[in-house]
Amino acid sequence: MSQITASEQSTHRQDDAPPGADVPASSQGRQPRRLRVSRTTLLVRAAQLVLVAVWLVAWDLTARNQWITPVLAKSPKQSWSYLVAAVENGELWSNAQATMLAVVIAWVLASTVGVVVGITLGLLPTFERILAPFLDAANAMPRIALAPFFIVAFGIGVQAKVALASTLVFFIVLSASRAGVRSADAEWLRLSAVLGAKKRHLFWKVMLPVATPAILASLRLGLIYALLGVVGSELIAAEDGLGQLIAEYSSLFRLEAVYAILLLLAGIAVVLNQVMAAIERRLLRWQPPADH
Amino acid sequence: MNSPTLHTNTANAQRFGTMISLRKSGVTFANPEGGSRTVLHDIDLDVPAGQFVALVGRSGCGKTTLLNMIAALVEPSSGAIEVRGTSPRDARPHLGFMLARDALLPWRTAQGNVEYGLELRGTDRATRRQVARDWLGRVHLSGSERLWPWQLSQGMRQRVALARTWALDPDVLLMDEPFAALDARTRVSVQQEFLELWQSGPQRTVVFVTHDLGEAIALADRVVLLGEGRILDDVEVDIERPRDLEGVAAHPRYQELYDRFRASI
Repeated sequence: MSQITASEQSTHRQDDAPPGADVPASSQGRQPRRLRVSRTTLLVRAAQLVLVAVWLVAWDLTARNQWITPVLAKSPKQSWSYLVAAVENGELWSNAQATMLAVVIAWVLASTVGVVVGITLGLLPTFERILAPFLDAANAMPRIALAPFFIVAFGIGVQAKVALASTLVFFIVLSASRAGVRSADAEWLRLSAVLGAKKRHLFWKVMLPVATPAILASLRLGLIYALLGVVGSELIAAEDGLGQLIAEYSSLFRLEAVYAILLLLAGIAVVLNQVMAAIERRLLRWQPPADH
Repeated sequence: MNSPTLHTNTANAQRFGTMISLRKSGVTFANPEGGSRTVLHDIDLDVPAGQFVALVGRSGCGKTTLLNMIAALVEPSSGAIEVRGTSPRDARPHLGFMLARDALLPWRTAQGNVEYGLELRGTDRATRRQVARDWLGRVHLSGSERLWPWQLSQGMRQRVALARTWALDPDVLLMDEPFAALDARTRVSVQQEFLELWQSGPQRTVVFVTHDLGEAIALADRVVLLGEGRILDDVEVDIERPRDLEGVAAHPRYQELYDRFRASI
């Protein structure tokens, strides 16, 4: 579709060649590039596997030789057998479900409110000036300290976890959206005004698209923070959830279970991050690739 | 000067007479320190329909402010200004606008960027597609419709901007150093493209701000020199059309005008 035929090419002035040979999308131009990229990807994946293996061996050696306090020195094998047992008795699944439900609710809720408030503040500078110190103060508060408050207020169910996680996600998304809508280029606005853009046009066609990369990045970060907030709240007190499991096994000195759950959480975070990155790439396909 | 386009030109001139008229217009900006700074004063300027006027002068002479006034981006502090017989703001649907930087929206394809102005003016989707495709073809970018701005060279981007401007079928083209950001060779090719577009269609009124004296003489019918907020000189170029850029530079009149203005730029 985007091929420039030979005859059209000749009508182009030579000085006007597009940057990078791959751009006119001639089939020869693109193929080697993709191959090169996949070869690097392969290398990256292989190196990552090696790192994981090295780390597992180090962990195993530490446990085997008791290089740290015996109560902490649990081997990967012990963690693995806990994991298998916990999957079989359903304990892992029901608690992971409880955690993820709270994560999703907090993330969706706080992101929606954060985007709306952030954009509003971005568009109303005076309003923003009034609220800025209060927002900064609220954001500077150690959120984990609010956990007891939320637990007393909402009980040990899902609401307390959602509340705590939301206070984290909200501010992340808010500041990104606020900065995002303000980053519109003055020339775009000047041109749009002369071409007859109304305020709503400027909002939908310039300010919102220009804010999208920042907002998406904050949503990705927000998802991870939602997980941190929920698990933090569960650690303090909750009826279920992975954080609650960690707290329980810690008190029983069953560190192999704690390690297993921590690794599971890390795995969940990686998967969530990858999913969000894929969505970002799809929505931001108009952006030049990072190596451009 | 007996090309068929001249008839349209005269028809426009009869319909609107002068396309742009400024009477004792001045612009004063307030300083942050509380004082004020007069950028333009007592500007009297009439631009007949179909005329190509270049505004030249040193930076800070007020040429961009004058253009912004015609585009209704700046209100005159004194005097009167009319565009197409009405206020500049009401004339906006008939204006095209081009800037030094292409101002393409990075999240729109070449095609989408050409459609942008049409979209703002409420043209339906099918017409928009068709018109944008046509104009991209006219600036030799057929086949690049679906490329994103970062995939285009500077010259290609500025040609997309040309297509976007022309797609609106404006009576008045306002151009603020449109080719200043291009490298020398690309500039010539885009200038030539622009000149061909302008000479081929119904003749549109152009107000063209530039600090490049050669460009002004080669392209315009009339060169207006601004300095210290005033009009210092106002000359008809008087080189026959259609012109091509290489031929113009060899014209004796070109050299004459160049020498006349050079001292004051």
